[in-house]
Amino acid sequence: MSALSAVLERVLGIVGEGHLLTDTAAVGEHAVDGQTPLAVAFPGTAEEVAALLRAAGEAKLSVLLRGAGHHLYLGAPAGPIGLVVCLTRLDQVVEYDAGDLTITAQAGMPLSALQQLVGKRGQMLPLDPPGPESATLGGMLAANLSGPMRMRYGAPRDLLLGTRVALTTGELIKTGGRTVKNVAGYDLTKLLIGSLGTVGAMVELTLRLVPAPEQRAVMLAALPAERAMKVASGVASSAWEMSACAVVNQAGTIRLRPYLPAVERRDAYAVCAGLSGSPEAVARQEREVISLVGGGAARLDGVDADRVWQRVRGLAYPTGAEAVLLRVGVLPSAVGDTLRLLSYQPGWSAVAQVGDGIVYAAPMQETDIMSVKKAVAAIRRAGEEAGGFAVLESAPVSLKREVGVWGEGIRNADLMRKLKSAYDPAGVLGCGRLV
Amino acid sequence: MKAVVDKKVLRSWAKIVGRQHVLTQPADVRLYSYDSSTARGRPEAVVFPATTEEVSRVVKLCAERGIPFVPRGAGTNLSGGSVPLQGGVVIGLSRMNQVLGIDVSNRQAVVQPGVVNLDLQKMLEPHHLQFCPDPASQKASTIGGNVAENAGGPHCLKYGVTTNHVLALTVVLPNGEVRKLGSAVADPPGYDLVGLFVGSEGTFGIATEMILRLKPLPESVQVILALFESLEAAGEAVSRIIAAGIVASALEIMDRSTIEAVEASFPSGLPLDVEALLVIELDGLEGALDKDTQRCADICRELKARSLEIGKTPADRERLWAARKSAFGATARLSPAMLVNDATVPRTRIPEALRQIQEIEQRHRVRIAKVFHAGDGNLHSNILYERTDPDGLRRAEAACAEIFRAAAGVGGTITGEHGVGAEKPRYLQLIYSQADIAAQGKLREVFDPQGLANPGKVLPPEGAGR
Repeated sequence: MSALSAVLERVLGIVGEGHLLTDTAAVGEHAVDGQTPLAVAFPGTAEEVAALLRAAGEAKLSVLLRGAGHHLYLGAPAGPIGLVVCLTRLDQVVEYDAGDLTITAQAGMPLSALQQLVGKRGQMLPLDPPGPESATLGGMLAANLSGPMRMRYGAPRDLLLGTRVALTTGELIKTGGRTVKNVAGYDLTKLLIGSLGTVGAMVELTLRLVPAPEQRAVMLAALPAERAMKVASGVASSAWEMSACAVVNQAGTIRLRPYLPAVERRDAYAVCAGLSGSPEAVARQEREVISLVGGGAARLDGVDADRVWQRVRGLAYPTGAEAVLLRVGVLPSAVGDTLRLLSYQPGWSAVAQVGDGIVYAAPMQETDIMSVKKAVAAIRRAGEEAGGFAVLESAPVSLKREVGVWGEGIRNADLMRKLKSAYDPAGVLGCGRLV
Repeated sequence: MKAVVDKKVLRSWAKIVGRQHVLTQPADVRLYSYDSSTARGRPEAVVFPATTEEVSRVVKLCAERGIPFVPRGAGTNLSGGSVPLQGGVVIGLSRMNQVLGIDVSNRQAVVQPGVVNLDLQKMLEPHHLQFCPDPASQKASTIGGNVAENAGGPHCLKYGVTTNHVLALTVVLPNGEVRKLGSAVADPPGYDLVGLFVGSEGTFGIATEMILRLKPLPESVQVILALFESLEAAGEAVSRIIAAGIVASALEIMDRSTIEAVEASFPSGLPLDVEALLVIELDGLEGALDKDTQRCADICRELKARSLEIGKTPADRERLWAARKSAFGATARLSPAMLVNDATVPRTRIPEALRQIQEIEQRHRVRIAKVFHAGDGNLHSNILYERTDPDGLRRAEAACAEIFRAAAGVGGTITGEHGVGAEKPRYLQLIYSQADIAAQGKLREVFDPQGLANPGKVLPPEGAGR
């Protein structure tokens, strides 16, 4: 028996028949960045995940962790993939007592299922990542995904309280805890957030919840660029406790057409401002937005508001397998300039989370690679000149290789490599997608 | 082998920071041998650098000579974090006390570690901004210390702890290297090194500059002060407020012992025969708070609050907060010898934890003055003892350990905001397995392979991997 078939035998022994794919057609569907894995395993327990990672570490078999697979476009192009470990069978709630305002759930649980569950108790997980809500909790946190609501409720790092993690040593360790305040020991949880599966496999997560607001609505307005930015900055710097705020550039407004009050002017941007809270608070927020806009803002409530946000978030998600998507990070005060520079890239949509200084940009139509390359270079330059960076989140592998994913590179990469190898000495996790 | 701070290294440090900024006289260095905890340890020298570069050069010499170093802000630490357990040098950061910039449009501030928390708040106020962490020590404690300890405070309930408000750090690593971690811009590529560094209690190096996230000050604030006949009723009020979906900005409980202490030190006419005092603070939009305030007041009435007062003006609010804010100082006056327990439990387990703490108090014949950040389950049990009673400290320590165990037993943690420091490494095993602790030790190995940065803190020796 070859070394390879020996390890696959061991993997099969861990997950059992019916939970391992090895035939060419089946594994082909799990290819990432053109790399077809040797096998795909679907562990059913945390212990199985740990055993899989240990087997992979010992056999030096590279491992790509995944949940629903909606965000595998992120990161540097994957190197050769030995084993894909898919965590979707780990989809149970471990502990939920509404009075704690926290929930502990397995990593493979879809965000939508969690929201439904806690929604019944008048609560929500305040995370609105780009892409489908069937994304898993583990994937969402490993990819550090957030959306416009971050302005009010914070980033994933502010919401994840603790985890249970499988390491390539075969150990299952606990990081953090279940209380909202905890400074016992080092905050190892932070290392997992955004680690793209390069450190360990989160199998359980404890997350902070918030009471769902009594009312929620969105105000939409179409405005010339400068005024749109003024409204958005006004909202973001206010003490009005609004739930979210985004600005969509002219090209991107096409996606909002059904909801947007007449957008005729070619230079019109859309401002989306989330109202939330008690009826008194929402009424006040609405008045403030109207006075900032100077009239001409539409209010959409409840489910319609959710649909608007879905579309806004859609602009931060690649439209196809190899579609180009850039994430630009700049200071909030530089968002306006960044959007203006983006307007020189015809046909590129952009959505800005103004308060957080995050701009997603993508070409709306398929264009030739040369012009995409030029646009990427220009956007990157603009981002870097504004003291930030532009990460090429999604693109054809060849383009990612050619222009690089991280822009100027990752600062303190040496420290990060040391951290990674402390937890993954065999270097099998993540297939080179981060460090 | 313990390295010596010899004349040669002292001369080098003097050259770096200036002779007048190096202390070696026993009477001088003794002032740096303690903090607000019971831990003690005498440094061989104290140096006060003025710049990042000076810190780097001082630390580099430590690395070359194998000299342990301990960074120190105001020394208000409650877990021994700033005490040099293994001698060596204390690096005082009080000269680095400048606010380097306030960027109003981006809601950020750039500060040096020696800036006092409250001083920063005062500078931010005219801009209608705040740095959310507000530890009780904020009149004295420094931002550097807040970052090292991941400090909390009453308002973390709504706004989160220090780590939620730090964007970037300039740090001197234990080998003397200067690094910039994180970014003023959101989500820089790579691991969250800032998140690892905040709360590392001086064991990963020294933060010499920090970029902080600021929040707008709330438009409107209302405070309710309610007095209860039992501690349980006050705890129940907190649970019901949370269950009602009300997001208070603070929910604070004090017990009878603490009320007595406060009245003895700063009399304000509080009745001495009530068992608990609850402070509820709500903040938000002008005109949108009254309803929630009424709901909170109704909950207190349902639970037979003996008295209830609502404050809406700054003067009234301050008056209603006064007792709570002076609690720690007043308790220390009641009995200068006390152990401060910082156990934290899931919110639904507060009533059970309260019962257990009262039972522990009786069983060990100690007096516990309880001051709780009840809204987030952070229960400060101040265990009082007599210095003259040889058995007093022993009983207090036994009670303290049992409270840790009780908290761990209901899914809580041994410290919510004070840090592990010198006092609690041995209790980590109540909440973490050996493997969990070893995994944390790997982090320390990466940042401080020589083990010179604040040795003896956070992790138990066996967990530190050496």
